[in-house]
Amino acid sequence: MTNVLPEPVTTIPNPFRMDYTYVAGAGRSMFLRGLAERKLIARRCAGCGQVYLPPPEFCSRCLTELEAPFELDGRGAISTFCVVSFPFPGQRIDPPYVVAHIQPHGAGTRLMHLVREIEPEDVHIGLEVEPVWVPDDELDTSLLSISHFRPTTEGGADA
Amino acid sequence: MRDVAVVAWAQSPCRAANRRDDMAGILLPVIRETVNTVGIDRDDVDFVASGSHDFYEGRTFSYIDSLDAVGAWPPISESHVESDAAWALAEAWSWLQLGEGDIALVYGIGRGSLPADLDQVMPAQLDPYYLAPLAPHRDAIAGLQARSTIEAGLTSEQGMAEVASRCLASALDNPLAQRSEQVDAAQLLEAPYVSSPLREHDVAPVGDAAAVVILAAGDAARRLAERPAWLRGVDHRMDTHYPGVRDLSESPSTGRAAHRAAELAGFSASDVDVAELHTEYSHQEAILSGALGLKGAAVNPSGGPLAGRPATATGLIRVGEAARHILDGRADRTLAHATSGPALQQNLVCLLEGDG
Repeated sequence: MTNVLPEPVTTIPNPFRMDYTYVAGAGRSMFLRGLAERKLIARRCAGCGQVYLPPPEFCSRCLTELEAPFELDGRGAISTFCVVSFPFPGQRIDPPYVVAHIQPHGAGTRLMHLVREIEPEDVHIGLEVEPVWVPDDELDTSLLSISHFRPTTEGGADA
Repeated sequence: MRDVAVVAWAQSPCRAANRRDDMAGILLPVIRETVNTVGIDRDDVDFVASGSHDFYEGRTFSYIDSLDAVGAWPPISESHVESDAAWALAEAWSWLQLGEGDIALVYGIGRGSLPADLDQVMPAQLDPYYLAPLAPHRDAIAGLQARSTIEAGLTSEQGMAEVASRCLASALDNPLAQRSEQVDAAQLLEAPYVSSPLREHDVAPVGDAAAVVILAAGDAARRLAERPAWLRGVDHRMDTHYPGVRDLSESPSTGRAAHRAAELAGFSASDVDVAELHTEYSHQEAILSGALGLKGAAVNPSGGPLAGRPATATGLIRVGEAARHILDGRADRTLAHATSGPALQQNLVCLLEGDG
């Protein structure tokens, strides 16, 4: 026996490639398709009155199908926020910037998104904001169809 | 020991691929069905346990999606196993044995259709140094096991085709089966090999479904079901993860689990009228029947996994099917078996009994 340890193996080739189908589901698909048309689609539970945005198929409190979809304009109030001040790999915009929970008027749930066109130190809970949509040729079945939220203007959400 | 029983059970139809529903969408109607069967609210459920594998979904903590269907609002007591949901049932059974509550809801979701190619995915469950780099075909290890099972004299290609023929015929009475037909063994044997000696009929068809079992203890069980399916014995054991160390024609972990379950139950697998076995491949019926010591039981009258294998819901469906015979008053003692891992690596045995 020898006390000399073997040279450790630190890498071996073991390539994986895995392709998956993601199933968004009927409820989520309806919401995502709406985003590509500058629409925020909500649904109400007949049982408890909760308005979901985004809406699933079922109310997770009552186990019942949600009612017919309807549109909200996306205007709402900031319910909480933070200021991101540090850089990290893959970051899409330069810090500092504001990430907020927005409570759209008419919805019982909150959306998370960026708040821009305002200095971070001027952002506060309760601030009224509206969505800013990307140009038509960038619209997609994604929350990135909304570029960001900004303080509500007189002209309306699509101004 | 506390008396713990299956009081309700339901599953969604086994489909080759469900492209309409997300996890919660598949699961919620099944939860609603079981909850309504016993006439309880979700507030009455003391514990929720589930089982699924992230590698079928392609993302981490994927089961979180399904919590919308049990409504973690207000907050619930909950657990998840990264395995077939039959192991979630074992956890819920233990939890009830500890007296932590009286009613538990167990669910399994299997979505085997999401990987575009299971040959890409299944090697990832193997040893990363010696086996995964070889990237074996999804049915390759089962082929090794089938060959050694034939060589050991436990079955034959003819015998395997007869198992498949019987299961597919039984599934004609199961509207939730994925596959069913009246077909002779001779006709099945004309098909080409998938992974010799396995043909397509020998391989359980992977797909999508959800299953839900409600467990209750003592008086709660007697209140919720006319004839509870008492889980008299539950045990699970595992063999080593490296298939090369094992004699693949045997399943000692199944034998040990069955022995321990029988000690708990006061009766054994040889006493049951019905056995629902988690046969991912036809040749495994011979291995399992021998390891369990079945004597004259009807095996997989539902059609079994050879008629539908919704990934990690498959084992829990065996428990539900075994319980159904007792809940409906058509059998007094039944057995459920579930497996996880390659070539019957991990095995779970439940012995169920109805009141006389």
